[in-house]
Amino acid sequence: MKLEVRGLVKVFPAPFFSGGAPLRVLDGLDLEAGAGVTGLGGANGSGKTTLFRTLAGVIEADGGAILLDGKPASSGRLRELAAYCPPNPRSFYFRLSALENLRFFGALAGLPAAQALERAGRLADRLNLSRADLERRFDRLSEGNMQKVSLIRTFSRRAPLLLLDEPFRGLDGLACTGLLGLIAEAGRSAVALLTSHSRELMTAAAQRALRMDRGLVLPGRPQ
Amino acid sequence: MSARLISAFIRRDFLAESSYRLSFALGALATLANLAVFYYIGRLFGGTLAPELAPFGTDYFTYVFASLAFFGYIGTGAGSYAGRLRQEQTQGTLEAALSTPLRTLPFLAAMSAWNFLFATFELLVYALAGAFLFGLKFPAANWPVALLVFALSAACFAALGIISSCFVMLFKRGNPLAWVLNNFEGLLGGVYFPVAVLPGWLLAISNLLPVTYAVRAFQLALNRGAGLAEIKGDLLALAAFNLVLVPASVWLFELSVRRARKTGTLGEY
Repeated sequence: MKLEVRGLVKVFPAPFFSGGAPLRVLDGLDLEAGAGVTGLGGANGSGKTTLFRTLAGVIEADGGAILLDGKPASSGRLRELAAYCPPNPRSFYFRLSALENLRFFGALAGLPAAQALERAGRLADRLNLSRADLERRFDRLSEGNMQKVSLIRTFSRRAPLLLLDEPFRGLDGLACTGLLGLIAEAGRSAVALLTSHSRELMTAAAQRALRMDRGLVLPGRPQ
Repeated sequence: MSARLISAFIRRDFLAESSYRLSFALGALATLANLAVFYYIGRLFGGTLAPELAPFGTDYFTYVFASLAFFGYIGTGAGSYAGRLRQEQTQGTLEAALSTPLRTLPFLAAMSAWNFLFATFELLVYALAGAFLFGLKFPAANWPVALLVFALSAACFAALGIISSCFVMLFKRGNPLAWVLNNFEGLLGGVYFPVAVLPGWLLAISNLLPVTYAVRAFQLALNRGAGLAEIKGDLLALAAFNLVLVPASVWLFELSVRRARKTGTLGEY
């Protein structure tokens, strides 16, 4: 699959009667990526997360186009093809176990329960998440283990477009190694984009790296 | 896909709800306490027929008992969509759920499936309590017609509930439709007393609400065994409400999700 982004614009309107100004987060951004891993660096607020949320079909762009294999992709099509790991790992049901959460979100992605559970088990091994933690209630997990569950949810979809926003956040060394392996495997067939503020991890994970600044992708590596 | 999705939502909600054990038990107790209040009101007034109850051919306790059971079920649709959506917003799971290929119709069908299932259980409790605790009997009931009224009313109230959830999607807090449903349906819809006791101007407003037709048709089918011909007007009114509200609710919900995606507020609460 090939991803092309042409002149992407995203403006968040100011709330009604707030007196604030609209926020232009993506300012005509262009990007091209084929199968493989592309790292995206940039300062806080440069628009990385908004770009990922737009590419995942979570939010809709105000201008420009997203093309997949040369064809314009609607936000609905993007939600079918993209798996997005958000920077905050808390978007789960706290009263349910990690495994029950993964089973539920697997169903939303069209995975039968058995398949969701089987994939969860295998990915947990790769990310150094124990069976006991998988069966633990989500709110009783450490922040790093929550991040592992969030990564499992993303990888278990085996999506052709993989969007990993700060995937290494909070992970222990073994999990980082496991994640690097998973990213490399996914990158053989999928378009994988990732952000990280760690230069070392970015270099280890991505074959090429780009830099974002004020809603645009600039030439050159992240600083 | 839809059946799997609905069962996934039911499983999730069952697990979440059953983790709050005290809340579950208190809810069940509240239902019984409610019943007891109306039972003693019924005893106070004895079996005497109020003139407004004459068309229904029943006493006050039987009337209010049937209305509460009926309204409790159809009211589930009215309240649960907005409640569930708000819960997803505050938990931070709405955006994650709507980041998947989930389509609107299956999502709407699945979102409140647990609430309807639980309401069915409550309805059974009401029915058992009515039959064995309070000795209620409905010898004249026309059950097929009562079921038809039930289905039409449930669909209509679910549609109202979906429209109500659009306010939650867009404005997060402040839901005028829920406010009307919560505060005026009971007063104006004939749930606690026949609408015939209302003054003319309130009666006119009550005729604009689907609950009025729903409760009246249900009471007549249940207590008088009314057939299709006898409650034709109420059934047609409910069908007309459904014809407008059901497609409108799905369309408005899609529109509000689209708007939230556009403004980037899907994950806000």
